[in-house]
Parts: sequence; structure tokens; C-alpha cells
Amino acid sequence: MAVCVGIIGKDNSPKFFTCLNPAEELNFQYKVLSALDVVEEKLNCGSKGATDLRELYLGMLYTLETHKIYGYVTNTKIKFIIVVDSTNMALRDNEIRSMFRKIHSEYADIVCNPFYIPGEPICSKSFTGSIKNIMTGTV
Amino acid sequence: MNGLEIDLIQVHNGELDRRPKITCAGELEVFSTLEDNLTEALPQENCEWRRTFGRPVRSVHIGATFLPYSLEALPKGNQWDLIRQPLFHIYFTDCMDVDVYKASVKEDIENWLKDLNAKDINDWLIVVVESFDGKRSNKLLPRTTVLDKIRADFAAKQGDRCISVINPNKTESRSADSWRGLVSRIRHLLLVAYGKAICRLEEHVRQQREKRNEPGWSFLKYFSLQEELAQVLEMLGLYDEALVQYDELDALFSQFVTNGITNESVSWLGTFQNPLERWHGLNLKQSKLPENASILELRAYIFAKQAHMLLLIHKVWEMASRCLPFLHNCTRELVILEISAPAGTVSCWLFLAAMEVLETCERFNHADEVEEYSLHTAALWEYASQKVKDLGKLCGLMPGGSPTSEQLHIVVGLSAGMGDSPGTPTNPSPTDKLKEALCSQEAFYKTYLELAELAMGTYKHIGRLRSARLVGREVASFYMLLGETQKAAAFLGDVLRTFEQDGWHELAAQTNLELAECFKQAQDTRKFISSCASVSAALEIDTLIRWTYFDEMCKCLNLLEEPLIVPFNNIIKIVSVSLTNDDPIMQDSNITAELVIESNFPKEVLCTNFMISIESDNKDNKKMMEKYCASRILTNRDMKQQDPVMQRLRIKKNLDFKQDKQLASAGVASKFTELRRKDSSPIQVQPGDFSHCLEVSKLPLVLTPGLNIMRLNKQANHIGKYYLGQIAIHIKSLHLVSPALSPKLAFEVKEEAPTLKLYKKAAPLLSGIEQVMNLILTIGSYPVDPEAKIKLIASPGLTMQIAPKAGLVSTLEIEAGKNVPFSSTRKPLRVLADMLTKEHQVTVHVPWTSKPIVVPLSFAPPLTAFWKLYTVLHRKFVQINITGQCEKDLIVNQAKLNVGGAMDIVEKNYASVQIISNGSTYSYIWELLVKSDMESTIKAEFSLVYKLENQDDVNKLYQYFFDITDFQTLYILDAAVEPAKETEFCRAGVVCRLNLTMENVALHLRAPDSTSIMYEVLAEQSVWAVCGRTAGVVSFEPAERLRIVALDVMPLASGHLPLPAVRISKYIPGETGSAVIFLLDILKKGDTHPRLEPFSPGQVYNKSKGKQLHVIVNSNEGV
Repeated sequence: MAVCVGIIGKDNSPKFFTCLNPAEELNFQYKVLSALDVVEEKLNCGSKGATDLRELYLGMLYTLETHKIYGYVTNTKIKFIIVVDSTNMALRDNEIRSMFRKIHSEYADIVCNPFYIPGEPICSKSFTGSIKNIMTGTV
Repeated sequence: MNGLEIDLIQVHNGELDRRPKITCAGELEVFSTLEDNLTEALPQENCEWRRTFGRPVRSVHIGATFLPYSLEALPKGNQWDLIRQPLFHIYFTDCMDVDVYKASVKEDIENWLKDLNAKDINDWLIVVVESFDGKRSNKLLPRTTVLDKIRADFAAKQGDRCISVINPNKTESRSADSWRGLVSRIRHLLLVAYGKAICRLEEHVRQQREKRNEPGWSFLKYFSLQEELAQVLEMLGLYDEALVQYDELDALFSQFVTNGITNESVSWLGTFQNPLERWHGLNLKQSKLPENASILELRAYIFAKQAHMLLLIHKVWEMASRCLPFLHNCTRELVILEISAPAGTVSCWLFLAAMEVLETCERFNHADEVEEYSLHTAALWEYASQKVKDLGKLCGLMPGGSPTSEQLHIVVGLSAGMGDSPGTPTNPSPTDKLKEALCSQEAFYKTYLELAELAMGTYKHIGRLRSARLVGREVASFYMLLGETQKAAAFLGDVLRTFEQDGWHELAAQTNLELAECFKQAQDTRKFISSCASVSAALEIDTLIRWTYFDEMCKCLNLLEEPLIVPFNNIIKIVSVSLTNDDPIMQDSNITAELVIESNFPKEVLCTNFMISIESDNKDNKKMMEKYCASRILTNRDMKQQDPVMQRLRIKKNLDFKQDKQLASAGVASKFTELRRKDSSPIQVQPGDFSHCLEVSKLPLVLTPGLNIMRLNKQANHIGKYYLGQIAIHIKSLHLVSPALSPKLAFEVKEEAPTLKLYKKAAPLLSGIEQVMNLILTIGSYPVDPEAKIKLIASPGLTMQIAPKAGLVSTLEIEAGKNVPFSSTRKPLRVLADMLTKEHQVTVHVPWTSKPIVVPLSFAPPLTAFWKLYTVLHRKFVQINITGQCEKDLIVNQAKLNVGGAMDIVEKNYASVQIISNGSTYSYIWELLVKSDMESTIKAEFSLVYKLENQDDVNKLYQYFFDITDFQTLYILDAAVEPAKETEFCRAGVVCRLNLTMENVALHLRAPDSTSIMYEVLAEQSVWAVCGRTAGVVSFEPAERLRIVALDVMPLASGHLPLPAVRISKYIPGETGSAVIFLLDILKKGDTHPRLEPFSPGQVYNKSKGKQLHVIVNSNEGV
């Protein structure tokens, strides 16, 4: 179960942000923002290798005392960030990975929606619903 | 080698000597001479170590300790802890004599081997030490040496178990070789034996691990067992494998903690759940696992070992990278195991551990090492700063407070628990530092700020700007507590910029809120107002808070003395700007613009002024990159940076050809050039020049939250190209200024020059008559000096006048007269052109331009005339037709024909006054009385006088000149059609005879030679069919007068038919007798073909013209 999911655009501005506990959203925003540093670092390293078939999953970006932060970057440089409670031992790398894949497919769906302008913040209710479901693992 | 040195240190400490033990039997005196050399030589070179289970071959260094042989110390061959036992056995002998060998040594060796075999030990070696001396070389080699004997007796199958060595103490070249052989043999055999022992140990470790869930199993016991394996690997120099052993232990323990806490069988875990009593700092240099270690001590020990291994394999960065997860793991385990500890102890321990690792890192200061570990130490610095801040809070050391006695008590407790680990005065240990920091507030501030500063610096160094900013945010809040608002503001400003750059509006709004508080505390009204404006306009913030800040802002506005400029940013959003005028805008007209803006203020706000600046669009300082708005409306979509992702790609085909023009490759390419770097620095808003601006007519105006539509205007006084610059909204002294509008919304203010035009009226201009034209002066956007002179110059023969009564002149000057912009005046201009020229022009010089205007005028005469010659046999008549061209009726009179007296003429007209209206024709006719001896050309002049009907004008003369040429009649033609013989009538379809009579009547007129003429019957094909020839040449003899030619023709229709037309022409034969003419002909024509020349109309008279023939219907047809 993830506690927070963020979708960050190409320009590093947040496009979507949700937390299980809305009161903590601001704190999570700071955490996700600093995760962008690591994402950028990983992407820059990756470009040197020039591997086209890049692994989208970036793995754990960094840990805090209370949380672990994972990253995933699409080919169009959309970043997905998942924050997990570090006491949660049930979530292993594979679960996180599949969570990211689900988010990616949800994101692909929303981008396909003709009423969504790519690059704008996502405010679709159904999208929020599906992401919440992914977070809580009910999908 | 670094590793080796550390090894040796440990050996000297005497507790961790994991070198294999070798026993020595036989002649120990011999061995004792070799021992030192061997101990030293063995680890010096590496040796390949082949292992079971297909593990890779590693090259290792192996050392050994030597013990005298004793039967009691021998282990059993299958013991698991062989590793701690003597595991290799060497028998030394220096017996050189075979007989002596047989007598005593052999038996000794036999006994030794028997003992070994009894214990199932196969790892042994017999060394025969030879003392090599010079005299032996002279002798013949003995048949058998002691070595051979020994080999035959004991190691028949394992030849490598016996080796001889020349005593190396006698330095000779041969001895060095044999010595090297011995050392490498020992190394090899020892390694084999040791390998077996390690296998045994590994097996045992595995077995023990399998039992981990059985009751009674103890982690610590197992720990020491596996650590032994690790130490062995470390001794061999396989630090990475030793690290694996520690990592396994680490993971195993973590697993127990997370999974095993509920499990009954892991009762040993209970010993770790005792409350914490010590929180000595982590020490990477010398770590010892104390008796009844706490979990922190165990953890610290494992980490220290791991760090030790990592340092040995030069992976400082990995040690740094492992530190933070290790610390997090420890805190988590403390929580899971519910270990109680006095407040702050964990933070203390974590801080000390982090600092220890950081200090260790700092000892490695190679540039690339620093580069590598900085990536991980940055977060560690931050962590340390957080921990010390936590401690500061706990102990009441934060700014704005002082520690209570209770808190002082905590400090004492914490310091006591840290133990003592003093560093040098110049280089205090982490423990020293922490103790000092907790002693006084100043020391705490210094420590905290130093750590935070280091964290920020390291973050910036590794390019993690956002993380650095977040640390900066913490520091800012600390400075706020300290009351150093200026420093706090600087940090917050940086933070804000980073958030805005990344578009994290909520965080930016939050930071603005903090900034506002900061400025409020600093009593910086100006900055406070600008951050209040930002906060009150931030939609992300709670409305109540926004109201509060808005009210505060309004209150403070009254305190402002000088205007404060605040950029629009998110406060005011421009939805669209549009110019409602048509382009171009005329001078002195109003420029009007409509502006739609969205105000994010939470309440209505009263604007004292509202402007859009107008900037002159100079070509000179125009950059190539500047974009212009294509239409008259600029919307927020235009103003947004175009997202290159959303652009349509322009794909082009791309064909590459080889040299022989064959296609080498085909592909598509996109000229996508949007890969420019975006300017990442925020746009600095400077208020531009508002001296020219569009303004709102009614001020003040109320800006409501949400959409507002403004209409602004301004009179366009000066011509030129302009664009809209910035928008400014003044709220008292608060001046909100937008960035320069981009793309540029450009417009042009134009002036319209006065124009002067000369128009004729609808009818064509006539020469000889005074007519009126219109001179129209149109004033453009600016008035013309009323006294300015307009000069009209007419071409010769043309006169004009504008004044009603004055006479006509060829050059005229008029004053422009009083005028107002956009008006026009019409002046009638009388013009008169003479009859002689048709094309005239008027050149107009106007004062506003140096270029003269040329108006071409075309005049037509009021009358046109043409003449025609008529012939009746020899008589000639001239007819002259005149046609009126004037709109008005013309009165003509006194028509005269004058042939200059060449002949007499007879007027056939009725002499009267005629009125000729436009387009009507009147004919006059005269007979020419022709005489035979006349010139062939006569110049004739026709004249009449005319005047306009309604004018009491003088009569004007109209003249018409023409030439009458070749008018004498030369031939008279006659044609008659007769019915065929024996028929009375001509019938259709029946051949009739056409008699063509050609009479030469001009015998007296000309030379007798050119008398060949050609006749042609030009019958209408539907009426006549000419049978046989239709043309022929007739030559008149000089005196011949008449010729009759008969032709067969057939009428095709019945009725009164016109006779077939006949034409005659001069016939000029192809060849003429005269050579001169012939030559001339060739020169003229280039050939000698016969040719025809037509007669002029007066020369041939056709009598039969107009004759008709009655053709009756063919009787046969009737039947």
C-alpha cells in the first residue's frame, strides 16, 4: 500500500498528486520534489549509456526514516513517484514495479482522452479513483 | 598493500590470527633456520585457489604460523573447526647419507606418517634440506640420494609430497631456485589443505543456519561462527567475499527482527530487547563486539565490519551509500523490538554514526573519490543536521528559548551514555562535537548551521538543487527563530524561485506565506506587501488566509511612500488583449484595445490607474527572434510557450543518391528545431516606459475577482509602427506590472497624404472646344498650409483656367485654400486644346511632394470625316461624310472642297446650315471633271465651319485633308450571260455562256507596254458553277481596244440572279525582256514569278455591277 502517488510532467511540475492522508499532502510534496533530483541524476546517467530500451522503473530513489520513495519515468519523461511507508515490509520491488505499470497504463488512458490537454494538471475524478485503488492495492 | 598492513596489525594484536597452522616434525634445528624465511616468504606472492562447487578461481595470499609437531594437537580429519587446528604437516630432514637415512630417519618418518594417517590426515610434506658444497660437484652423482629413497618409500604415487631444498642460508644461485620451488610447493599444498578446511567450515555454517528456527539456537553463537569464515576470507585477501559473509549476517538479523518477533523460537531476540543503556558512537577504526551487546552495538559492529571490508576494496562511496539505509534500519528495528531508551538517545547515536561515517569519508580526499561519495554524503549531512536539530529541540537549545533544568538533566544523561571517545584537540571525535554542541546554545547553533551548510553545499555540488533548497528552507525557519530575517528571506527566496521554476504552485504559495511572515517580522513593508499580494492571489491557499493577507496588504499600502512595483505573476492573469481598430490606424483616430484579465485577488480591489504601454517598434533594434502576433488578438494561449511536443512535425522525404545517380537510401527527416534551450531564468519584470499608453477613461475602477474586461484607448498622434508593451495596474502605490507581451501585438499608425486628382467628365474630351474638368483636392490625415501653391503646367497647345472669368493660360497656380483633414474640395478647371494634337498632358506640382503628378489627357476632334471616290464610266465623284463626335449638337456650315485648281469641280450639295448631332453622319458630294492629261495624285482639302449649337460662340474651322490618286478609268468591264444555243431562257442547271467584255479605255493615258491583265470570275458557289477555267490572262496589243472572253457557267438556282462577279488585276509576267528590269526584279523580289497587282478603285469600272439575270426553273426538273 502506497501512501502517496505523484505524476510529474516533463517540465518537472506536478500534474497529479494524491495522498492517502490529505493532511499530509504538503509534506509529501516536499519529499516528491526532492526525489526529482535523483530522477534527473538517474536519467542523465542513463543517457550516457544510450540504451534505447531503457528500463522505465528507476527503483528506489531515496529513503527517509519513515518513507521510501520509488520512481518510474516514461519514455516521454513523465515521472511517476510512489511513496511507501518504510514500515511496510509487504511491498517488495516487484509489487512496486507492477504498481507503476498500472499507473502508467492509467496515465496512458488519460492522455488518450480527447478532453485532456497533455501537460495540464490531471483533475479527472475517475483517474483519481483508479490511482487510489492502485495505491491501496484493491485493483 | 593496504590490506596486508591491516592484516599484520591484527596479527600483532594477536586475537584475530586466522592464518593456517603448520606443524613441523623431524629435525627442528634445520627448520628453525628456515622458519623466519618461510613465514615471510609465504604470503609474499599470490597463489591460485581452486574451489569446489564451481566457484571462480581466486588468487589469494596465504600466510602461516608454524608449530612444533605434537601428536596430541592433531585434529581428527573430519572435524568442522579444522580451520583452527594444525592442518598441514611438514617433516624436515637434512640427512644426506642414504645409510643414515635407512638407519634412523626412515623409521622416524614412518612413525610420523602413521600418526597422521591414524587421524586421517593427508596433508603433509617431507622436506630434505641439502647443504650444498663445492666438493660434491666434483664427485659423480651418487646412484641414489636420500630424496629418491624417501620418495620411493613414502610417496611413490604422490611425488610432490617430497621436495629437496638447498639450504638458502648459503647464498648461491641454485639455492634461490630450489627455495622458490619449496615455497610455492608449500603454498600450493597448504592451500589445498586449507581449502578443505574452509569447505568443512562452510558446511558447518550451513548446517547451523538450517537450525536457526530450532529452539535454543542463538544468533550470537552463529554470528561468531560465520564471522570466523569471514575472517578467514579476509585473511586470504578475499575482502569482497568476507563482505558477503557480513552482509548475510546483516540480512539474517534483519529478517529475524522483522519476521521473528512474534515467533516463540527466537527467544534469543529477547536479550536484545533490554532497554538501552549505552549509545556509544559508532567507531569504524576499532570495533569490538562487547559482551551482552545491545542491538545498537551489534548493528554498529556489523556495519563497522562491512565498512572495513568496503574500505579495503576501495569502495568508500559504497560505505557512504550504505550508511543512511543502515541508520534507518536501526531506528526501525528499535521500534519493532520496542526497545525503550531515554529520549534523545537514538538521535544521539544516529548523529554519532552519521558523523563517524562522514569523517571516515573525509579521510579519502581524492577528487574522484570525493565525487563518488558526495552523492551519498549529502543526504548524510542533511540527516546529521536534522538529528542535531532534534536534539536541540529536545534539550531546549533552539533559538528563542533556554533549557530548563529538566532539559539540562537530559543533556547530562545523553552525554554520559555516549561514553568517551576523545579525539585529538585539533580533530575532535564526533562524540566530542556532540557533547560540545549540547553544552551551550551558541555551540548548538554553530554545529547545526555548519552541518546544514555542508549539506546544502554538498547537494549543490552533486547537482541536487531541489534537495539543497529544502535544506535551505529548514535553515530559513531556524534563522527565523533566531530573528535573522534577512538570512531567512534569502534562503526562502531561493526556495521560492526553485518551486516556481518547477511549477509547484502549492509549495510556492506556502513559501510565499513563509516569506510574508518573514518580511512582517523584519518590518519590511515593501517586500511584505509584495508577498502579501502573492499570498492573497494564491488559489492553493485557504480563502480565509488569503483574506487576512489581502487586508494586511491594503492596510500597508497606505504606508507606502514610493511606488512599489510587483510583477503580475499569478496575481493577475492576462486572458486576452485585442486591438479593436482596423489596421492601419489612421493618425488622430483612437486606438482602442480590449483587455480581458483575471484577477486572483480574493476581494474587489480599487485600481487607481490602468494602462497598457505603447512602444515604438524600431527596425534598428529588432532582433530576429522576436515573434509577432499574426492577428489583432493576443490570447493567453498565444502567450504561453508553445509546447514543442504538441507541434505538428514537418516531415520531409530524404533521398540519397550514389555517384551514378542510383538511389542509395531513402528516408524521412524532420526539421524539428525546437530543441533550443529554454531560458530558465525567471523573466525579470522591469516597468517599461509608460509615457505613451492606452488608458482607461473612467478612473478609479474596480477590479473584481475573476474575469474583468477593460477597454482602453488613446489617440494616435504620431505615425509609425508600435506594439503593445506592458500592462500596468496601479492600486494606490502598488504598481502591478506585467511582463512584456510576447508575441508582440503590433499595429501601425499611418498618416494619409493629401491627394490631387484631375478628372474629366463622362464624355470624351474634344479638341477645339472649351470644356470643364474637375480638379479634386483631398486632404488626408493632416491639414495643408492654405497658402501652399499648387502649380499646373499644360503641354503646348493646351490652355486652362480655374478662375471663372479669367482667360485661359498654359501655366496656372492655385492656392490650396483652407482645409480640414479628411475633407475634399472640387474645383472646375476649364481646358481648351487646339485641333492639331490629340495627346496632351498636365503636370501638377504639389507642395507636399517633390514628385510632379503627370495627368495625360487625350482630346478627340469634334467631327470626323472620310471620303470616297465614285466612278461612272469616265466620270468621277467625291463623297465626304462627316460624323459628329460631340455630346452637343454642332452647327456646321460652308462646306468647301478645294483641289487646288487641278481640275474643275462641280458642287452637288445644297448650301445650307446643318445640325449634326452626336454620332450622326452628313454627306457632301462633288463631281470631278476629269481631264485625260492630269496628275495621277490630287491634293484635296475639305473644310467647313462649325460651332456649338447653344453657344454664341465664334465659328471654328474644321479642315480635312486627303489625296485622290489613280482615279482615271483604265478598263471598263462588261459581262453578259446568254442562254445556250437553241434555248430561249437561261435555266437552272443548264450551262450558259458568260461573255466577258474588257474594254481598254486608257490607250491615250499611258505607255503601250503594260497591257496584260488577268480576269477572275468570282462566282458565288451556291449560285453559279463555273465550268472550265475561271481565270485567264489577257494581253492587249498596243492598239487593241476590246477583248471578249467567253466562259461556260451554270446557274445553280432559279430566279433573278446577280451575275457572277469578275475581277481584273494587273498581270506582271514572270520574265521580262529587259535585263535591267530583270535584275531589279531579282533585287526587289528575289524571284521572277508572275504576279498580280490590284487596280485602285477608280481605275476599273464594271458596267455589269448590279445586273441580274432571270433564270427559270429547269423544265426537266419540273417533270
